[in-house]
Amino acid sequence: MALSPAQAAPSNLTPRRAPWRKYLPAYLFLLPNLLGVLVFIAFPVLFALYMSLTNWDGVTTPKFVGLGNFHDLIQDQVFWLGVRNTFIYTFITVPGGVALGLAAALLLYQKVRGLALFRAAMFVPVVTSALAVAVIWKWIFDYDNGLINDVLSLLNFNQVPWLSDPAWALISLAIIGIWQSFGLNAVILLAALEAVPDSLLEAASIDGAGPWSRFWRVRLPLIAPALLFVSINSFIGSFQVFAQAYYMTSGGPDYGTTVLNYLVYQRAFGQNRFGNAAAIGYILFAIIFIVTLLQLRLSRGYVNAVAEAEA
Amino acid sequence: MEGEGIGVMSGARRPRLKARVLGKRVANKVLVYILLAAVGLLAIFPFFWMVSTSLKTVAESSTYPPPLLPAVPQWHDYSDVFNSVPMLTFFRNTVFYSSMVTIGQLVFCSTAAFAFARLRFPGREGLFIVYLATLMIPTAVTLVPSFILMKWFHWLDTIWVMTIPGMFGSAFGTFLLRQFMLGIPRDLDEAATIDGAGLVRIYWQIILPLTGSALTVLGVLTIMTVWNDFTWPLVMLNSSNVMTLTLGLAVFATGGTEEFTNVPLLMAAATMTVAPLIIIFIFAQRYFVRGIALSGFGGR
Repeated sequence: MALSPAQAAPSNLTPRRAPWRKYLPAYLFLLPNLLGVLVFIAFPVLFALYMSLTNWDGVTTPKFVGLGNFHDLIQDQVFWLGVRNTFIYTFITVPGGVALGLAAALLLYQKVRGLALFRAAMFVPVVTSALAVAVIWKWIFDYDNGLINDVLSLLNFNQVPWLSDPAWALISLAIIGIWQSFGLNAVILLAALEAVPDSLLEAASIDGAGPWSRFWRVRLPLIAPALLFVSINSFIGSFQVFAQAYYMTSGGPDYGTTVLNYLVYQRAFGQNRFGNAAAIGYILFAIIFIVTLLQLRLSRGYVNAVAEAEA
Repeated sequence: MEGEGIGVMSGARRPRLKARVLGKRVANKVLVYILLAAVGLLAIFPFFWMVSTSLKTVAESSTYPPPLLPAVPQWHDYSDVFNSVPMLTFFRNTVFYSSMVTIGQLVFCSTAAFAFARLRFPGREGLFIVYLATLMIPTAVTLVPSFILMKWFHWLDTIWVMTIPGMFGSAFGTFLLRQFMLGIPRDLDEAATIDGAGLVRIYWQIILPLTGSALTVLGVLTIMTVWNDFTWPLVMLNSSNVMTLTLGLAVFATGGTEEFTNVPLLMAAATMTVAPLIIIFIFAQRYFVRGIALSGFGGR
């Protein structure tokens, strides 16, 4: 095959060819992962957006209803129950988990021997699957033969309908939520505590600050970023609770533990209301996004003030 | 309170004060130990209870007051589980899925991270922002459309739905490794290039070995995530021959009779589901902690 002058002389490579060759390796390195992200994450996200604007049931052809799903949800009592339950669960679990985590971190900070053992013990709930946790705790919360009610009886207290009363059921889930998350919070907060420079603490001590004062005025402000991270993290996690609500109470009793994530599952796979479920999913996303932004914004003032005070 | 002016004490009073301060310190330490033990116990006790219950007889598990330990350990529950539930299949499946996904993640996330961290190409910044954006999407949004997608691919209820999506790697894994790789000094790359190494060799022989600890963190985290995942297999799988341990446990507990009466059997199944990961955790603690702290994941 006769070569054209452009092909025969390498230095005359047309500009259109060179960039391709140059960047091809980079794209090849990137391609599998990028493909995965686009196909298995980006596409579903967009498809969910489309679904939320239809009344699809998964079988028949979807019909475009615009914001109809969202309109329906605003008037849907079960939806608002879901929102309420999710918020209550979060408002118990997050402060509880962070406070207990902080307490545990302070204890670990005391540098006792066997520290690694205690830390490992606290972390075991964190690495266990939510479902296995649900199985274990369902038995512990059992009304007739569960550990907690048995102990309460021994102490002459009344037995508590942990999983059969709507209000108590949500509280039970929150207890499990705190139990499963405090170890993670403790480890992160411990690292933050250990990063507080000794020089500052000594200076405060010399200035006459007692241990309580040193905690509130020096340590706490300096670990504020870590506290914020742990809170946001906890919040995002709590908002997506599912396995416990599914296994322990199936969203009941009386919708008592129907949290938003469970509602999405129920609507889509229990009732074939894919459009509705997708809409709830997006609302959940929006709530998480907005609250996270709020948390960041509200704390920025505080964290900045601390940074300025340090400088 | 502190700084009581110890220096001004007379010699006669000093030993008593020293003893008092020491005593207070010891008391403090003891208190810390007690509290730590309490917190540690709080975290561990449910697991202890699970194992203890699994070794009791059915009658024992519902006696009042509840015995802390069984009178005679009923080890047969553990073999009984295998009769009631295809536990071995679940275990084999879970190990298979975890390995496949972890290998895929390590390979493809590291190559992608290498591209983001070391190579220049048009669209790099924009694509990375897309990656970051996907990290914020909750599963509530992606679960249902993913189900539809898997249905279209005819992967539902097969091993493919549990392996292929994960094997391509995740945005998070790439993000993690990229951050780590950015910290590796470029002098090494440059020296290798001068020596005539191509990109693949730089990736394979220089960057990758130095990313060892980050890769271990990602690997451990991926194993844990796949092992513990419940929602995805719940939605995507139906037949017991492809189920994971976690899903199998749930099916075992809720399938069949309304009231699952053999609690020790259930607890034995739960122990077997939970134990392997805890064992891995004990040996690879450092990596678990670092990984989970970075990603904020938990048992979810």
